[in-house]
Amino acid sequence: MSRPDPEALLAAFRADLAQAADPAALDEVRRVHTGKKSAVKAALKQLRDVPPEERKAVAASINAARKQMDTELAEASETVLAKARAARLDAEWADLSMPGVAPRRGARHPLTQVERHATSVLRQLGFSVVEGPEVEHPYYNFDALNIPEHHPARDMQDTFWVDGGWLLRSHTTTVQARVLQQRPAPPIRVASLGRVYRNEAVDATHTAMFHQMEGIWVDRGLTFAHLKGTLEVIARALYGDQPIRFKPKFYPYTEPSVGVDLQCSVCKGSGCEACHGAGWVTILGSGMIHPKVFLEFGYDPDEVSGIAFGFGTTRMAAQRAGVVKSRSLYEQDLRVHRHVHRGGEG
Amino acid sequence: MRIATDVLQRFIAAPTDQQALRHLLDDTGLEVKRVEHDGVSDVFTLELLANRGDHRCYEGVARELDGRLGVGIRVPAGTALQVGTSPWPLRCETALCSTYSATLLTRGEAQRALDAASLRLLAAAGIHSLGPAIDATNVANLELGQPTHAFDADTLVGAVTVRLSLAGESALPLFAEERVELPEGTLVIADDEKILAIAGVIGCEESKTTDATTRLLLESATFDPVAVRKASRSLGIYTDSSARFERGSDPERAIAGAGRVVELLEAAGWRREGDTGVVGAGPSTTGRVVTLSTSAASAFLDVDLQPAEIAGRLQRYGFDVRVDPADADRLLCAVPSWRLHDVEFAADLYEELAKSIGYNETPQGLPPVQLGAPPSDRELRRDKVEEVLLGMGFYEVFTDGFYGRDSVELLGIEADHPLHHHVQTLNALDRAYSMLKNNTLAQAVQAVAVNERRRVFDLKMYEWTHTFHPIDEVLPAQADPARPPCRERAVLWAMVSGNDRQRSWSGTARAADPLFLKGLVEELAVTLGLDLLVAAADEGHPLASCLHPNRQASVVLDGEVVGILGEVHPDIRDRAKLKRTVPVFLEIDAAALLARGSRPAYIEPSSFQPVVRSLAFTLPHRMEAGEVRSWLHASGPDDLASVEVVDLYDHGDGQRTLTYELVFRHEGAQVSADAVNAAVDKLVASVEEQFGHHGVKLR
Repeated sequence: MSRPDPEALLAAFRADLAQAADPAALDEVRRVHTGKKSAVKAALKQLRDVPPEERKAVAASINAARKQMDTELAEASETVLAKARAARLDAEWADLSMPGVAPRRGARHPLTQVERHATSVLRQLGFSVVEGPEVEHPYYNFDALNIPEHHPARDMQDTFWVDGGWLLRSHTTTVQARVLQQRPAPPIRVASLGRVYRNEAVDATHTAMFHQMEGIWVDRGLTFAHLKGTLEVIARALYGDQPIRFKPKFYPYTEPSVGVDLQCSVCKGSGCEACHGAGWVTILGSGMIHPKVFLEFGYDPDEVSGIAFGFGTTRMAAQRAGVVKSRSLYEQDLRVHRHVHRGGEG
Repeated sequence: MRIATDVLQRFIAAPTDQQALRHLLDDTGLEVKRVEHDGVSDVFTLELLANRGDHRCYEGVARELDGRLGVGIRVPAGTALQVGTSPWPLRCETALCSTYSATLLTRGEAQRALDAASLRLLAAAGIHSLGPAIDATNVANLELGQPTHAFDADTLVGAVTVRLSLAGESALPLFAEERVELPEGTLVIADDEKILAIAGVIGCEESKTTDATTRLLLESATFDPVAVRKASRSLGIYTDSSARFERGSDPERAIAGAGRVVELLEAAGWRREGDTGVVGAGPSTTGRVVTLSTSAASAFLDVDLQPAEIAGRLQRYGFDVRVDPADADRLLCAVPSWRLHDVEFAADLYEELAKSIGYNETPQGLPPVQLGAPPSDRELRRDKVEEVLLGMGFYEVFTDGFYGRDSVELLGIEADHPLHHHVQTLNALDRAYSMLKNNTLAQAVQAVAVNERRRVFDLKMYEWTHTFHPIDEVLPAQADPARPPCRERAVLWAMVSGNDRQRSWSGTARAADPLFLKGLVEELAVTLGLDLLVAAADEGHPLASCLHPNRQASVVLDGEVVGILGEVHPDIRDRAKLKRTVPVFLEIDAAALLARGSRPAYIEPSSFQPVVRSLAFTLPHRMEAGEVRSWLHASGPDDLASVEVVDLYDHGDGQRTLTYELVFRHEGAQVSADAVNAAVDKLVASVEEQFGHHGVKLR
C-alpha cells in the first residue's frame, strides 16, 4: 500500500479547481475531491496502513489539505458566483431607450379644464352650478332679460330660430332667468355654463357654437363696489395679477353695465397687433342686474340688488392652450388635443 | 362711427394727446376700436353702445365726454325755423310718426358747395360729397344726430303723406335696381302716386334730388323706433338713418335738425320758401322725471355724494335736477329729450354718476362671503365617469349641436326611420347647421373619418352633449313656453377605433371591439355603484340599425335600456370612406349615469384558500359564452363563488373552445377538494344535458 500524500491531493485538487468555471463545475470538484468517494476520503482510509507513530501527523496533514480545499473552494465559489451573476445581469440588459409601454391617460377638453377652474373659483364665493336647456323659448333668451322684440339689442346676438318659434340659446343668461323665475329667497348665487349658439359667419376664430359661463349673485345691499370687488377676485383667480380696468358697456339685463379689460399680456398695455392697438383685451361682461329683470320675476329692485357677470370660456381656453384658431377646439382632430395635452407626443 | 379729433375740438375742448383722448373715450363707454391719421388729424373708429342712439353724432360724443370733463360743449345753432303754414300739403295718418316737418327751399342763382369745415367733417367720416343738398343733410346728421331727407319737390304729386303701406305696394329705394314689394303696414312717406321714402330708412329714386334740382322739400321727423327697425329688417336695408331711428331719436330735435340743414344750404345759396309745416301724432314720451335718493346713490357707489354734486354731474349730461321740496334726500331729475329712450330708473342715473366719476375711480370691495358651496352629487359623479374614461386614454371632444343633411345621409336614414325627424333651424347661414342633431353617432363617425384622413388611426373620444328629439304634434303659431318643439336629452358618447391602447413595439395592443366598450361600461358600473349591465341587443333602439347587427348590445339599468354599444355598421363605414378603422361606439343616457348609485357592503376577505378548477367546453357557432357561464353559475353549489372565461380557442369553423375558471370558496370553512371534484362532475353532466343537443361538449 502506498502512503497517503496530502501534497499530491492538494495539487490534483488545485489542478481541477483551476478548470472549474461555473457553479456546476465547482460542485463536481467538491464532489471529486472532498465528497464521500473522494481522494481525501480514500487517503483517510489508508491511514491504517501508516505506522502508528506517523499516523497522527499524516492524518493532520490530510485534514489540513482538506481544510485548505474547503477554503479554496469557498473562495472560488465566490468568484465563480460573482462571475455568473455578472453574466446573468449582462444577459438581462434591457434597452430603456425603447418607448414606455404603460397605458397613456387621455385628457379633458381644454374648455372643460377652464370651466372646472372657473367653477372652483366661483364655488369659493358660494356659487352653485345650475344647468338649463339649449333649445329655449324666446322669453328666457330675450323678453325676460329686458330685450323686447324689435329692440336693437337683439342684433347683439344673431339668433338661430328653430321650429315652433323657439331658438337655440344665444347666451347662458337664460339659465339665470329660469332660476329667478322660481323666485328663490336671497341670497342667490348660481353659475351657469355650457354651449351657446350664434348665427354668425364662421371663420378661424368664430364658431356658430361656443361656450360661455355666467353667474348671478342676488342679495340685499349689493352695490357697485361689490360688483367691482367680485369681478377683481374672479379676474385675478383666472388670469393672475395682470392689471385690469373697468369700462362702461351696455347689456340689456344689467344697469350699470361694466366691461372688464385685461392688460394685453403681449405688449403690456402699449398696444400691439394682438390687442388691435388697444393695450387691453376684454375678458368679462358684467353689471348690476337691471331693475326690469327683477320686476319681471317679482322681486322688488328697491329691496334686492344683484351682480351678474359672464365670460366666454372658449376664448379663455384657446388662450391658455396657446391655440390661435379657436375653431380647432371644436374640431375633433386628436392631433390638436394630444398636442395641447402632451405637447406633441402622440 | 368715425370721429376726427379736429372736428371734435369744435364741439368740446377734449384732450389733444392721442393716448389721453383714447383713454378718455374708452373710459366713458365710447370704445375705440381703431385709430388712424387721415392727413389732417387722428380719426377714431368708435364702437358705440347699442342703446345710445344719441352717441351717434359729434354732439352726443362731446356731451358724453363733458360728463367727465365738465368743460361745456359747443353745438351749431342752426337757423331758427318758423313753424306755421306748411309750404306743401302734409298729412300724417299714423301714430307711428310723432313729428313730421317739411321745409321748402329753392336754389339761388349761384349755388355753392358747403363751407370747408362741413366738407372736412364729411371727409373725416368717409362720406363723399354729393352736392350741397345731400351734403347738408349728412352734415347735420353727423353733427346733431337728426337724420333728414331732401325730396326733389318737382317730382312730388299732391300731398306728402306719412302712412302705412298697403298690400301689394312697392317702392324703388335709392341705389336699388329693381322695385321691392313692401310688407303691408310698413311706415312710408308717399305722395298721391308713389312711395317717396321708407320712413327713417331710405328715400326712393323717383323723388331723389339731382344736380338739376331747383326746389327741394326737406323732411325732418321723429319716427317710431320699432316701425323703422321692422322696415329695415324686412327689406334688408341698413342705413345711418335707420340705425339712429331704431334706437329712438330725440323727439324735440326734428325742427332743430332741419334748422341746421337750412343754415348750411342758405350759406350755399339756397333760399327758404315760407314757414316750416309740421304734422304728426305728437310726442308720446316727454317730461319724464326720475327720482334719485342721494343716500341710496352714495351707498350704491360707496362714495359720499351731496345733492349739489349729484346735480352738477347730472346736469353735464343734460339732466335738469331739483331737490324735492318735500324731502331733501330726494332729487327730481328731468330726463333730457335725447335720453328718453334709455333712462327710466334710478339705476340709469347711478350709471351716469359712475361714468362721471370714472368706473375705475369708485371704491370696490367684496360683499360678505359665506363658506363656499360644495360640488353637487351630479358634478362629482360626472367627475368619476371622466376619471374612468381618462384613465383608459379617452380624449374629450366637442361637436356642434346641429348638423346638415349629409350627416343624416351618412347614417342611411330613410323616411320611416325613427331618427328621420329633426328639429329644423329656420335661418341658419350655413347648410351644415340646418337641423338639430337627434343622435351622436353621425358626428362621431365623421370625427373618426377626419382623423383617419389625417392618418390618426388609434383614437378614443368622448363627449357629454345633448340630442334633440322632435315632439310629434302641431306646434302653436306663437311659441308657447309650455310646449317646446323637442325633448332634450343629455347623453355621453364614446368612440374607439384602431388599437385599444397606444400602438407599441411590444405588441400588447389589440384591436378595439365592442368588448372593450363592454369593459368600459363594467368599469363605470363599479365606479358609480350602478347596476349597469351589457345585455342582448335591443332592436327597438333608434341606433340599432346603424350598428353591426351581430356586434351590438344594449346597456341596461334597472331593467331599462339606457344605452347602446357596438361596431359601426359596415355600410356606414363605407359611406364615411373609412378604409382602415373599424370604430366601436357607445352612447348612454347621462341621466342614468349621473343618478345616485350605491356602494356594495364591505365583506371581509376569507382566510380560507379557494379551490380552483377549469372546464373547457367547445361551443357551436353563434352560441354565446355567457349562456354556458350563466348556467354553470346557476347550477353550481353555494360554494361556487365565481365563473369566468379565461381562455378562448377559435377553431376557425365557427366552433370555439372556451375555458371557464370556477372558483369555489366557503366563507366559514376550507372547501375540500373531494367536494369540489364531485360538484364539478355534476356541473359537467348538467351542461351536457342542457346544451349537449346544441353541440356543446366537454373538451
